[in-house]
Amino acid sequence: MDVIVQIVASGLTLGAMYAISTIGLALVYGSLNMLNMAHGAILAMGGYVCLYTMVTLGLPAPFAIIAAMAVCGAIGVVIYHLAARPMLPSRNFETQIFIATIGIGAVIENVILRLFGPQPVAQPLHLPGALVIGGVHIPYQNILILVVAVALMAATAFLLNRTRMGLAIRATAQNRDAAQLMGVRVGRVYAQVLGLSGALAAVSGIMISSLSGLLPNMGGDPMLKAFVICVVAGLGNVYGAVAAAIVLGILESVIQYVFGVQYSFAILLLLVIAVLIWRPAGLFGRTQVVRL
Amino acid sequence: MADGLTISKLSAGYGQHMVIKDLSLSLAAGDFAGLIGPNGHGKTTLLRAISGLVRAQQGAIAFAGTELTRLRPDEIAAAGIVHVPQGDLLFPDMTVSENLAMGAYLPAAARQAGERLEEVYSLLPKLRERSNQRASTLSGGERRMVGIGRGLMAGGKFLMLDEPSLGLAPILIDQIYSVITELKRHGRTVLVVEENATRIAEIAGRLHLLDNGSLAWSGTGAEFLSSPEIIAAYLGG
Repeated sequence: MDVIVQIVASGLTLGAMYAISTIGLALVYGSLNMLNMAHGAILAMGGYVCLYTMVTLGLPAPFAIIAAMAVCGAIGVVIYHLAARPMLPSRNFETQIFIATIGIGAVIENVILRLFGPQPVAQPLHLPGALVIGGVHIPYQNILILVVAVALMAATAFLLNRTRMGLAIRATAQNRDAAQLMGVRVGRVYAQVLGLSGALAAVSGIMISSLSGLLPNMGGDPMLKAFVICVVAGLGNVYGAVAAAIVLGILESVIQYVFGVQYSFAILLLLVIAVLIWRPAGLFGRTQVVRL
Repeated sequence: MADGLTISKLSAGYGQHMVIKDLSLSLAAGDFAGLIGPNGHGKTTLLRAISGLVRAQQGAIAFAGTELTRLRPDEIAAAGIVHVPQGDLLFPDMTVSENLAMGAYLPAAARQAGERLEEVYSLLPKLRERSNQRASTLSGGERRMVGIGRGLMAGGKFLMLDEPSLGLAPILIDQIYSVITELKRHGRTVLVVEENATRIAEIAGRLHLLDNGSLAWSGTGAEFLSSPEIIAAYLGG
């Protein structure tokens, strides 16, 4: 029993972190058909901005989170204006922006390397201690991650479903031409979506680094997992992505317990291959299959 | 011609291929016009050029004194041009009522969304029954009604409908046409693209016949119906 609770608790934490980094990726793909390969680097930047604000500037944690979200949101908006917008009219937009964002990701990663150095650093935003129930040991940090993630998901759902901006984002994702005919300025929606995606990536970067520390290339692994989750859920499907993230998080912690950490990613990818053979458009995807 | 539409020497198309060639056409405010002609001769492209979804390569489109060809589609919508596109282009994962709400997305329309929604529901009562259903689960006829209802939600000064009766059962066509006739009574400026030329000739004030991307003939509905040679030449009898 204790083991099960422990596995579920750590699985939920993993799933929540994955979900936060995946939502942004799914939103951006859903509205612009853009695979943002710089997402991992933006995520790392979020972790480092948090570190800088708390250690160098000496400000409390909430300021650090806001600063990280603001910086990474701004990076997203800049990516829209400098890379996505000029490429949008092209027929090969998907391939072009895919390659362009790989380059942007490398630039951001090297900026981090230059500013903060290659050595691993601990994330100062970390709650010590753990909640002990019987034989179960749940670190406060994991609980904090879970609470923040759920709050952010609720806020994102509210934004998408209850606000005029969210209505415009959903309309653009579902039918770009029709959205324009209704008077939606799609360029602004794209900028908003990339900004939102960057801000969410920042929080996800802070969460991940609070458990495993900061490294300039720390974003690669979570981004790969976020892509896997997006593909399993069906590219561009935000709610499917949240569900898939949590299921995969729990699955990962089960696999880690039963087979050991080294097998978790390999088995995860095997499962993804199986899912895609069974449903090429992803679990919640529509019929459209995108081939790059 | 305060709220009229004047198209002069317009060329528009996709890539190198011009679908609309050197077309000039004007509609006076309050006109109820039909756009007819064989398939693939530029009717839909003309509407898409007016609403900015297709870029004009040459020429000008003036609406109520504003030049449209350099504006973005959202700015053209804000100028009061409402386009009910071919194939409906609904938002598939939104409910019927959310789709209708999107019709009143612009601030000017949003202020009157409440009354307009009641008007749309009384004109198309089926939509009230379906208001919480997702658009992707509707039948073809219901989808068309949502498309038209969404266009009505926008208000606007000038309404363009692209093949509102295409692919519908006769009883639904009658229903759609009763809505269109209602619009005519309200004195809106309307342009309807219609496959069924004789049907639109009965209600439209003026008809414009597009052939190979240019205006081939213009006249009143009555003139059209009494000109068998035009019917035969362009519409195959």
